[in-house]
Amino acid sequence: MTRIIGCGNLHRMDDGAGVLVAERLRKLGIPADVQSGSAFELIESWYKDEDVILVDAVVTGSPVGTVHVWTGKPLKVPSNPQVSSHGFGVAEAINLARILQLLPKTLTVYGIEGKEFGIDESVSPAVLKSVESVAQQIAQATQQTEAHNRQISSSRS
Amino acid sequence: MSGSAARTIRVDTLARVEGEGAMLIKMAGERVSDVKLRIYEPPRFFEAFLRGRHFSEVPDIVARICGICPIAYQMSAVHAIERALGVHISPEVRMLRRLFYCGEWIESHALHVYMLHAPDFLGYEDAITMAKDHPEVVQRALRLKKIGNHLVTLLGGREIHPISAAVGGFYKVPAKNLLHELEEDLKWALDASVQTVRLTAGLEFPDFEQDYEFVALRNPSEYPFNEGRLVSNRGLDIDAAEYEDTFIEQHVKHSNALHSVIRGRGSYLVGPMARFNLNFDNLPEVARQAASDAHLKPPVKNPFRSIIVRSVELVFACAEALRICQEYEPPSQPRMEAPSRAGVGQAITEAPRGILYHRYAIDDKGLIVTAKIVPPTSQNQKRIEDDLREYAPRLAGWPLKDATWKCEQAIRNYDPCISCATHFLKLTVEQEEEK
Repeated sequence: MTRIIGCGNLHRMDDGAGVLVAERLRKLGIPADVQSGSAFELIESWYKDEDVILVDAVVTGSPVGTVHVWTGKPLKVPSNPQVSSHGFGVAEAINLARILQLLPKTLTVYGIEGKEFGIDESVSPAVLKSVESVAQQIAQATQQTEAHNRQISSSRS
Repeated sequence: MSGSAARTIRVDTLARVEGEGAMLIKMAGERVSDVKLRIYEPPRFFEAFLRGRHFSEVPDIVARICGICPIAYQMSAVHAIERALGVHISPEVRMLRRLFYCGEWIESHALHVYMLHAPDFLGYEDAITMAKDHPEVVQRALRLKKIGNHLVTLLGGREIHPISAAVGGFYKVPAKNLLHELEEDLKWALDASVQTVRLTAGLEFPDFEQDYEFVALRNPSEYPFNEGRLVSNRGLDIDAAEYEDTFIEQHVKHSNALHSVIRGRGSYLVGPMARFNLNFDNLPEVARQAASDAHLKPPVKNPFRSIIVRSVELVFACAEALRICQEYEPPSQPRMEAPSRAGVGQAITEAPRGILYHRYAIDDKGLIVTAKIVPPTSQNQKRIEDDLREYAPRLAGWPLKDATWKCEQAIRNYDPCISCATHFLKLTVEQEEEK
């Protein structure tokens, strides 16, 4: 079973992208967690033997709505060196988890490029479009993995 | 250092504090001509938009003021409102509120001691860099913080902006077995917090003592959380209802957060050092022993040593949480009904960073007429500036980069929770020409 975690804050416009993906997946019947608290807790939210997919809004300078995917080992997610309790974000949590050898078995990060991060619940149309596309990609991938796992277990039995 | 050349240090973001703001230090040689802790984020208007709300909504609204210390805001609010309405909570609820506060202190103190402050003393940019050389230290911090979070979740319903605290008690209280199951974790946490004191006691501290007026709650027989008289080492001894007669808030041009001063005396210090110095005799034996082993005894006047004091408070919070969990019996009535009647109530509780004052006036329909909130960082603001005014001249001969780091560290001594009022902190030191 893959653990899916959507990160972000629905009250800060495009920052809610990861949470919206998690909500969309739940509507599709796929369990997904939401992490809106401190990124320190992110490290505690997975187990070392799990496959994890993490979704968050990112700012890299790409056009709004661009979907970035980081995967593999070592996972290199662009990190902001501004480290305060407020600046400690997903990338810093991943870096810290790597140093402490607390990363899950596999970790794939979907980053949806955001543009607006003001105090509002509206989301850029391009981000909404990518939320749907990322949710569909993850749904497809997890369903394929589950079918594969079922096949393996039935052939074993 | 030559007095002829002007120089400016600019740090775009002061790292490892709760939130963001700005700092300006102007110096001419060893003479400091100006120090400003600038909090320039627009006010958040919590006091204004509480008006017209029913008193029962207040704990959930004020929890949103801070993601690090929401329980402090909830506790000061419920106690002030209960006072206005004449509600008396049961001893069991009182104990649960202490436990709730223990959870917040554990997570907040573990975060600050290990992740925000220790890197200063050990010479690391941040906790991530520190983790490369000291992974076991950072892992200990994460587990301590997790235990604190777990306590908050059990009592508050969720770890961020908890929702179970209510006027009169709790909407829901944990089953007996859930708290008893925490005992093993808390025994580990107690041991880990004693190790934390050993770790922080071994750090090196600048020789810098100040003659502070320490202000904290004081109880006859308990280290303070929710109750007590407000006392100081200069004879202050008042009830929360008298707070505004003694403390005044001043608007200063460079900050959107009001400065608090004691009428006729000036700045004062709230937080772990004040609590420790005024309540040492009420610490449990295990915490007093940890302090004694660290050669720490009141009065502690060196703000850099606040990291050891905070570690001793971590020992206290873990020991107190363990005691309450071991003795816990669910209250027969988790929440007392509160009448809708007109009244005014004030309360002070001890947030991790120091005293937090709330006052509410309520009308006969139970709606809030006025609200006043004075957070600990706003009270320490002027004291932080006073520390820097005294400390910066000692750094006059230092390379600017190192001097800047030490000034930032001096700010971090206070674990400032600037996020309650602001959004960005940058530090500028200007070296003026000597006249």
